[in-house]
Amino acid sequence: MKPRIGIFGLSGCWGEQIVMLNCEDELLALVGAVDFADFLGGSSVNDCETRLDIAFVEGSVSGALQEKALRRIRARARLLVACGTCACFGGVSAIDDGRPRADLARAVYGRAGEGYDTASHHPLSDFVKVDARLPGCPMEKHEFLQAVACLLNGDFPPVVATPVCAECKMKEQDCLLVSRQVACAGPVTGAGCGARCPGFNVPCIGCRGPAEEANFGSMTEILLKSGFREEDIRRKLRTFAPESRT
Amino acid sequence: MTRTITIEHLARIEGHAGINVVLDGSRIERVELDVFEGIRLFEALLRGRTYLDVPGIVSRICAICSHGHTITALMAIEAALGIDVSAQTRRLRDLAFQGASIESHALHAFCLALPDFVGQPSVISLAGAQPEAVATALRLKKLGNTIQEIVGGRAVHPVNYVIGGFGKLPSVDELLLLQQSLETGLEDCEKIVALLAGVAVPAFVNEPIRCAALVPEDDAFFFGRVVRLSDGAEIPVDEYRALTNEHTVAHSHAKHSSHDGRSFMVGALARLTINGDRISGRARRVWEQVGPPLPCRNIVMNTLAQVVELAYSIERARDLVDSFLRTGFAVEPPVAYRVRAGAGTAATEVPRGTLYHHYELDSAGQVVAADVITPTAQNFANAEDQLRAAVRDAGDVDEATLRLRLEMVARAYDPCVSCSVHVMRAR
Repeated sequence: MKPRIGIFGLSGCWGEQIVMLNCEDELLALVGAVDFADFLGGSSVNDCETRLDIAFVEGSVSGALQEKALRRIRARARLLVACGTCACFGGVSAIDDGRPRADLARAVYGRAGEGYDTASHHPLSDFVKVDARLPGCPMEKHEFLQAVACLLNGDFPPVVATPVCAECKMKEQDCLLVSRQVACAGPVTGAGCGARCPGFNVPCIGCRGPAEEANFGSMTEILLKSGFREEDIRRKLRTFAPESRT
Repeated sequence: MTRTITIEHLARIEGHAGINVVLDGSRIERVELDVFEGIRLFEALLRGRTYLDVPGIVSRICAICSHGHTITALMAIEAALGIDVSAQTRRLRDLAFQGASIESHALHAFCLALPDFVGQPSVISLAGAQPEAVATALRLKKLGNTIQEIVGGRAVHPVNYVIGGFGKLPSVDELLLLQQSLETGLEDCEKIVALLAGVAVPAFVNEPIRCAALVPEDDAFFFGRVVRLSDGAEIPVDEYRALTNEHTVAHSHAKHSSHDGRSFMVGALARLTINGDRISGRARRVWEQVGPPLPCRNIVMNTLAQVVELAYSIERARDLVDSFLRTGFAVEPPVAYRVRAGAGTAATEVPRGTLYHHYELDSAGQVVAADVITPTAQNFANAEDQLRAAVRDAGDVDEATLRLRLEMVARAYDPCVSCSVHVMRAR
């Protein structure tokens, strides 16, 4: 029997499901290799009870409804993969700077917002065991395909500990931070994107979350010397991963 | 006796929504489109941040519309800061919009909506029955992504769009690759249209559709400064609130829109209804073969209107790429500007309809107010009206048929629910 896969979205932009559907060259092979048993975004016939070999979950948890959904997915799945920065770190919608959700909801919806089920956005690992993480906003197509191949063959996908900066140097791109005094988050952001943004002369905004091996102190020092305010630096580094409070 | 029909989770749409219908005998008591997407409060989160952070954050409102959100945000900020971009930047942005249109329409029309027309539960099962057709559809979808990757730097959440221009201009090699892919795309489009011509479009609802779309100010179909309604009213983009006129409803996390107390529809069918006279060439032939007759009273035809636009976008993208290759790019760094206090509004036509972004900045460039109104949010009220019409026109069909019809009406709008719940105003 083909391995059974489930694909689920919590609070987010649907980015990881779009990345999966963007594997246009591999999609038909993928359909041949696995059984998409539960994929509401792609099919109107789903088995919502069956055991799953792998559950891919995107988005963050932002309320009781989603926490319940996530726990149910975990109970059915042998392996659970957090897909994308929202699932791994909370993502952009977690940047509430500790302001009460009720106040934010009222600012947006008026009185009607007071009754809404809304909580700060949390990564999946705050609630359930996560077996593998594919950070990125969105996750990279090649990392997703690699993870599928690894997991189907009894292995875990590789973990990248180095920062974007390392990939940028390997590509011999001009350093935006040092030579142009642009606030680039490359030194502290997890690698895997091939240092895409600096390649377009655009600073890294940290969309893959914090690198395991990162020197936040030194990065902050360079930025302070370049004239950036501490508050702005902190804000910048927390845009995608409020968890990475430094 | 009252009877309730509940579709808890709509399948094959982006995001989380359901449908509730309450009938009392043959009388329709209630028809509601429920949105229970987790709310993300984007506009409130933007307050106090620098304008430079805005495009990267609002892109994350929605993956499938990320190029549209990013560029529309840039245009609104440019308006607030008094920045005029070059004709070249405008045309490259136009190309990005064609890429988004091709990708999004191919995804919705062929992968999400079409399975209903041929009695399949998904494009996955359709791939088993018609592998050739699905391979062609996926090639078209990929063509849209290739354009978005080359112009925007990434298919989802672009990185190359900056205030006043681009981080990097596409290379000649990339343009040549696009030119070739677009030629193949025109052939693929013809193949798939020939197949579609043999598919019966479900026609079970007969209800007028009030439309709204931007009036193109030059040859760019997706950009404009004035919105026109199908009953003739015109509203300048800066006064968009007079049109979108949002209000909260108890059963949904998304706000509803109405103009003169009546709902309206935005999207491909609305654009063809308002601006159809601008469609020529191959797209015109596709329209004659499979497109909606006007005025259209069958909302399901929006999917076929998307196919007409798909043909338009491939042709337009090819013309743009040809002209870039002919004249070459002028080397122009992003426009220089000074930060100042100001307010700016921009509207564009993204695949699902008109998208509005509005920002107010203080003298340091920090966001004082932000407002984003997505097409799906504008469509909710109209979708409920059309769902109601579908129930009315159903006669005594069995419940399974009625449920499928309701799903098809909702899917016809190509709803992007993740987008719609960020429709909000922070002041």
